[in-house]
Amino acid sequence: MSTAFGKRNIINLDLFTDAYRVTGRASVGIGGIHAELGNPNSKYLELQDAYISRIHTPGDIVANYQVAAFRKDNINFIVLQDRREGIPVGTQHGRSIFTRGRSIPIFLTVPSFEIAGEAMHEGKFSAREILVQSMGSFQLVFSAKASASLYPDISYSGDLILVHKDRIGIFCLDNNKK
Amino acid sequence: MARIFVIDDDEQLLRMVGLMLERGGHNITLINNPLDGLEQIKADKPDLLVLDVMMPNMSGHDLAREIRADANIEELPILVITARSQEVDRTTALKSGADDYLSKPVTSQELMERVDNLLAKKGGQTSPETGIIITAFGLRGGVGQTTLAVNLAAALRRASQQEVCLVDLSPSGGQAVMHMRLQARSSWLDLPAENELDWAVLKNRLIIHPSGLRVLAAPAKPQDPSSISGDRVHHILNLLKHHVAFTVVDAPHVYSPAFLQAVTMADMGLHIITPEVVSVQTAVQLNRLLNKAGIQVKRKSHILNQHTPEAQLPQTAVERGLNNKVAFQIGYDTNQARAIAQGVPLTLTSAKSGLPNVVRRMSEAIWQRVSTKSL
Repeated sequence: MSTAFGKRNIINLDLFTDAYRVTGRASVGIGGIHAELGNPNSKYLELQDAYISRIHTPGDIVANYQVAAFRKDNINFIVLQDRREGIPVGTQHGRSIFTRGRSIPIFLTVPSFEIAGEAMHEGKFSAREILVQSMGSFQLVFSAKASASLYPDISYSGDLILVHKDRIGIFCLDNNKK
Repeated sequence: MARIFVIDDDEQLLRMVGLMLERGGHNITLINNPLDGLEQIKADKPDLLVLDVMMPNMSGHDLAREIRADANIEELPILVITARSQEVDRTTALKSGADDYLSKPVTSQELMERVDNLLAKKGGQTSPETGIIITAFGLRGGVGQTTLAVNLAAALRRASQQEVCLVDLSPSGGQAVMHMRLQARSSWLDLPAENELDWAVLKNRLIIHPSGLRVLAAPAKPQDPSSISGDRVHHILNLLKHHVAFTVVDAPHVYSPAFLQAVTMADMGLHIITPEVVSVQTAVQLNRLLNKAGIQVKRKSHILNQHTPEAQLPQTAVERGLNNKVAFQIGYDTNQARAIAQGVPLTLTSAKSGLPNVVRRMSEAIWQRVSTKSL
């Protein structure tokens, strides 16, 4: 799909609010879903063909609608199977700003979920630095797994999980692991 | 050929999955509404259902549950394909009654593998406990040996719906891939040493044709015949024998250790000749050589392939020269040159000319004997 602002792609994603999992498709530009979430002109993210499940029965679909809108503030995290759908990862000339630096194992919690994975960071490795210096209001967690705190058997894996920074309760990192 | 229903509300994906299955030789019905789909399944009772999960009106899980609750269609094998790719989605699909699960995007190879497995389970088809090796051989080149091997492998795949692998052992520039318009990214020349070559490694190097046929390609550039040893051929064929139902070998036209190994390990040898004096003389010499070396080719058949419009010798003269009966005679087929140019084996088309007719008959006879355990 092409517009006056360039090529747009449709991506599949799993989006999580406090109590619901929503699977749907979003239209994103070359900046991926991270750019859509950071777009200051809209407080809402729109999904097409949205299928909604409750967090404790994530396989069962309780409702579906052609279009669903989400207040970005209320999104806890988004799971993507391919990081290229979330962010520009770079070109043959070098990595993008999102994938530069060294990777470090991190662990964080949001309401109902704990998420483990890797953060990419240039500079000093401290939790505060990472959260403050990373761009936008969503923290990128690569090769990540989100597990439901109350239902440990329920987990979601993705090449990239975008976590709303305002929703983070605990943020830990381990300097020694890598 | 199985009758497969595909139910998905996304028209594009529906067509794409339908196309993949059609190329695998199946008869496809595309349905974009689960409620209509349920009615059609009850009426037509297909062999297999490929089902999307996320659909309006009724989810794929609900449809699977409805099918399992209906005594008339409860046995229907169901393959679920969905964009929901998490472990929990797989568990939910299986709990709701699906037999297998695939997450989108789906490759043709994955889809064909799952469909074949489900169809084999459903039919209770006996796949041979160890695979059958069929070697097409002869020391005279240009007799249509590769054409026959490619078409036989494709026809066997279609008749049996089992795993079939074509092995092109030619050292003089692989042609089997050209017959199927495939790109040989790797060949037997790139395989690691025998001690590192297990089934997982070999399987990765096999090229998959859209029909589901696997191919071990020959190197694109001509090689010294000694570049593939007898031991290596033995190791490769041994692996295939234990993991693939049928292996069709296109043997080199050189009396080399690789040739001898391919012929010795064959459960069925197809000696290809043409109705011309030189071909028959070469065949007679080869038979003598093999006898002298004490090599008995199991279930050897002579296949008389007329590859030019006019035959130099009648079949009776060929049989006299060989001192043996010709098992199958393939008449000159005007479609064959076009089929090679188009890269589509004739047995995968609807052509009813000489070559595909005979090869289909051969493959059906072989499959029948294998499935009834009389081979």
